[in-house]
Amino acid sequence: MLHEFEFRAPRTRAELLGVLADHGGLAKLMAGGTDVIVNLRAGGIKPRVVVDVKQVEGYGALTWSDTDGLVIRPATTINDLLRMPGLRERFPLLVACAHDLASYQIRNRATVIGNIVNASPCADMAPALLCLDARAVIASQAGEHEVPMREFITGVKRTVLLPGEVLDRVVVPASSVGARGGYAKLKRISGHDLGLVAVAVHKHGGELRVAVGSAAPTPVLVSGLKETDDAATVVAAAQAAISPISDLRCTKEYREHMVGVYIRRLLREVA
Amino acid sequence: MLEDATPDTLKHVGGSPDRIEAAAKLTGQALYVSDMTLPGMLYAQVTKSPHARARIRGINTSKAEALPGVRAVLTGAELEYRIGLYVVDKYLLARGEVRHFGEAVAAVAADTLEIARRAADLIEVDYEVLPPVLNHMDALKDDAPLVHPDLGKYDHVSAVFTPIPGTNIANQSKLRKGDVEKGFAEAEWLIEREYTNPSVQHVPMETHVAIAQWKMGDEVDIWTSCQSPFAVRNLFCYTFRLPLTQVRVMVPHVGGAFGGKAGIHLEPLVACLSRKAGGRPVKFQATREEEFSLLPCRSALTYRIKTGVAADGKIIAQKMTMYWDAGAYADYAVNVTRASGYSAAGPYEVPNAWVDAYTVYTNKPYGTAYRGFGHVEFFWGLERHMELVAQVIGMDPLEFRRLNTLKPGSITLTGEKITPNTGNPTKCLDVVAESIGYGALTAEETAREKATGCKIGKGIAALHKAPAMPPFTSSSIVLKMNSDGTVVVNTGLTEIGQGANTSLAQVVAERLGFDLAKIRISPDKDTDRDPYDWQTVASKGLVLAGNAAILACDDLLAKAYEVAGQVLRAQPADMDHDGEKIFVRHHRDRAVTFAALAIGYAYPDGNAIGGPLIGVGRYIAQGLANLDKETGQGNCALDWTFGAHGVIVEVDPESGEYHVLKICSAFDVGKAVHAEILRGQAVGGMVQGLGTACCEGYIYDEQGHLLNPSFTDNKIPTARDLPDVIESVAVETPQLDGPFGARGVGEHPMISVAPAIGNAILRAVGCELTHMPMRAEDVWRAMNQAAPIDNWITKTPNKSCKK
Repeated sequence: MLHEFEFRAPRTRAELLGVLADHGGLAKLMAGGTDVIVNLRAGGIKPRVVVDVKQVEGYGALTWSDTDGLVIRPATTINDLLRMPGLRERFPLLVACAHDLASYQIRNRATVIGNIVNASPCADMAPALLCLDARAVIASQAGEHEVPMREFITGVKRTVLLPGEVLDRVVVPASSVGARGGYAKLKRISGHDLGLVAVAVHKHGGELRVAVGSAAPTPVLVSGLKETDDAATVVAAAQAAISPISDLRCTKEYREHMVGVYIRRLLREVA
Repeated sequence: MLEDATPDTLKHVGGSPDRIEAAAKLTGQALYVSDMTLPGMLYAQVTKSPHARARIRGINTSKAEALPGVRAVLTGAELEYRIGLYVVDKYLLARGEVRHFGEAVAAVAADTLEIARRAADLIEVDYEVLPPVLNHMDALKDDAPLVHPDLGKYDHVSAVFTPIPGTNIANQSKLRKGDVEKGFAEAEWLIEREYTNPSVQHVPMETHVAIAQWKMGDEVDIWTSCQSPFAVRNLFCYTFRLPLTQVRVMVPHVGGAFGGKAGIHLEPLVACLSRKAGGRPVKFQATREEEFSLLPCRSALTYRIKTGVAADGKIIAQKMTMYWDAGAYADYAVNVTRASGYSAAGPYEVPNAWVDAYTVYTNKPYGTAYRGFGHVEFFWGLERHMELVAQVIGMDPLEFRRLNTLKPGSITLTGEKITPNTGNPTKCLDVVAESIGYGALTAEETAREKATGCKIGKGIAALHKAPAMPPFTSSSIVLKMNSDGTVVVNTGLTEIGQGANTSLAQVVAERLGFDLAKIRISPDKDTDRDPYDWQTVASKGLVLAGNAAILACDDLLAKAYEVAGQVLRAQPADMDHDGEKIFVRHHRDRAVTFAALAIGYAYPDGNAIGGPLIGVGRYIAQGLANLDKETGQGNCALDWTFGAHGVIVEVDPESGEYHVLKICSAFDVGKAVHAEILRGQAVGGMVQGLGTACCEGYIYDEQGHLLNPSFTDNKIPTARDLPDVIESVAVETPQLDGPFGARGVGEHPMISVAPAIGNAILRAVGCELTHMPMRAEDVWRAMNQAAPIDNWITKTPNKSCKK
């Protein structure tokens, strides 16, 4: 059924939070629309109000400072992020993941925060933000609060966001600068595809982290490993943390196998 | 009609002039049906079955009819029309029973698309869901539900097709040559395997779209994105029992077709909506999702091959059994079965051959023509089989193929004798083998293996195909000279991206001796204006329409010479012409321009002779006949185009991921009429073949719901999937009855890409793949001798990534 909804494009954060407070769970936030419009068309969501965040003053800002780190706001597209001077030097893993998200045209529309809020197990930005200790700053009329990225996504297409709340910004701390990392994603074609399974490896100050996408209801972070751990240990730790399924994209066994392949490959590549 | 002209005397044929429609397409000015709106036009939508098989207990349309802006609502109850190309088995809207997921059950036309969508959703259908038969091999079992219990009552083309009532077999095609059992008894080796592939989508950029207006006096105008305006008109008139004078079909630019727009599809339903809406024009354009299940796909195939090989490596006998998955309706699948059956052994001589090819009904979206017309599917099995047989008998696969290829004097499966001008498959194989450095890795490739940890393999595969068409297929061309001496070409052949218009213009310019700039060929086609052409399919366009064009040129020139002879007081034998004028050979200044002759020659005093110059050319396939239904023997091939691909592939032995480093394709095209269009066809077809090889395929759940009717989970290759190096080579063994020696090559580049890749993967990592597509996981499993995943009818939940 063709679904009719009210469309709102607030200009200020106060106005945005007001709209969200008024409509609660019946409002759907939209930025680039690369998930929302697809879901609307397919009948997967039936919001009363669609709230476009792109016009909100300040929501297009993408800032870096030595004290506050990298601050990503709701209207920042993937390509905005990729074009940011100095980003590759500071956060190579973030660039690797962003670059593997969909196609150039979609990256012109898709936003970093939309990718996270959509909370797909295969969200490409999640592995990087998990490894980099990003924080989610949530705003509502009641004020702001912060949760670590690893607590933000709670299930397939589910997050900690409550009705009335918006993911106001994602902060990647300056302390994560200097980390080395890489991203590998299994796809059905070399062009754009959802990850059948994806692995990020992150090395920083002796610590080794692995994040895995499409292998559990949420992207999974395995932390507390050491850079000196051998591949078998790292793979075993990752395998223990994931719970892949078989679906029409590939089987559980292949997902498990490829997590191991990619971890070993990335451990070699990320010096 | 091979001309005596040698390449250095040809001015247009063999060159690469700009494509006629390029500027219009590049600037967006080219008009497609998708772009069109007519005054008072309504928009149609259909209500589709969510079930693979169900009895329709009732349909309630009252809510839809009550919606303001709705002008017509139709259900199957009102439409007692069946359509079908060869077996007349399909209602315009389902009646009594739905037979596949996505089948049209009701349709509406409304003032706006939004109202139409809402109305289609308001139609309530009461279904009694029945157990579907999904796998075509299951459909052959005795206790299988019958998809068409009334099969015995359907009209069908009985001279060519054999439905078996009381079964799910829509057609059985047979071929018998020699004595297979005797051949097997004499063979040194017997090798039997089975190869499979799922259904796939054509994925044209422009989805199916039609506008129809059913006017007073049952006059019907149709604008449609289709391949064959005359086929649409004729089948439409057959369905509605209308004289051909009352239906006009117009085809502007077409945004891709690939066989999916051959035959007749949306036009009758859209026309019925127009009739119900009182004659207002109605437009329907399929969504991408509808393209996957409302409209037809390419059939799945199970191909079993048993080969007997003599001690010297020669194939002595081969038994081939094909099970084609028609889906719910026979459409083109029965003819795919026939055409594949008589080609089933490929470009090889098999003295003793036996083919049984079955078209099997299932409760799935139905199969239709798709570039290659069955050959992409069965060559997957055949050319993998040739590789595996070579391996078993310990012979190099290239040598094994070369030994067995059709050569002058060879007899094909249907009993046709190969001549020196039939074409040269061996040369095609040699060309691609040399291009890829077949048989060994270079030092550079070995170094690359060391550096990457990947394995490099090189594989080849051959192919052939003849046009699948009735033996009496014909084309015609009309040339009309304008008063400035330029020429308009009328043809019923559609331009669907294959370059037909440009190539025909080249042939006309060449034969007339005119500049190409003087030749006008309309981008759109119109059954009221253009002369008959059977269909734009089967890689036969250039051969038949090209010959008709040559004859039309000769006719036009003969008429011009006749008048010029009077003006110049000269005999035709003493005259010649250039691009401007006809002149007396021995007195070149005694001349008359074509412009002066074009609409009749007028003397200075106004007295006139002649009249408008019109050239007519008609050409019909020569010497062909229906094959014998019991033995498959006879002459069925207008021309055989042979070809081969050579592939270098790089495989990660840990993961099964692979990438094509290089592909070289060679086709014996007889004569490359337009070198760049040929390369465009070669590359485009190869990429489409790559998609079939690597990733494409319909996936169903066990209830028959199509799980991947979109690009989310039905991937096609992108620019990033292209091989690093792409070569295409034209081999030119002239076709004696082809225009300037040319033969067709529209479909061929897609054929055998998959087995060439599979053979290269085999060489790289030693794994035997028998199911297409070859996903990375399939390669990984094959490397580990694990059972292949057969998830095309999947047991896993229909929501991906959900627990």
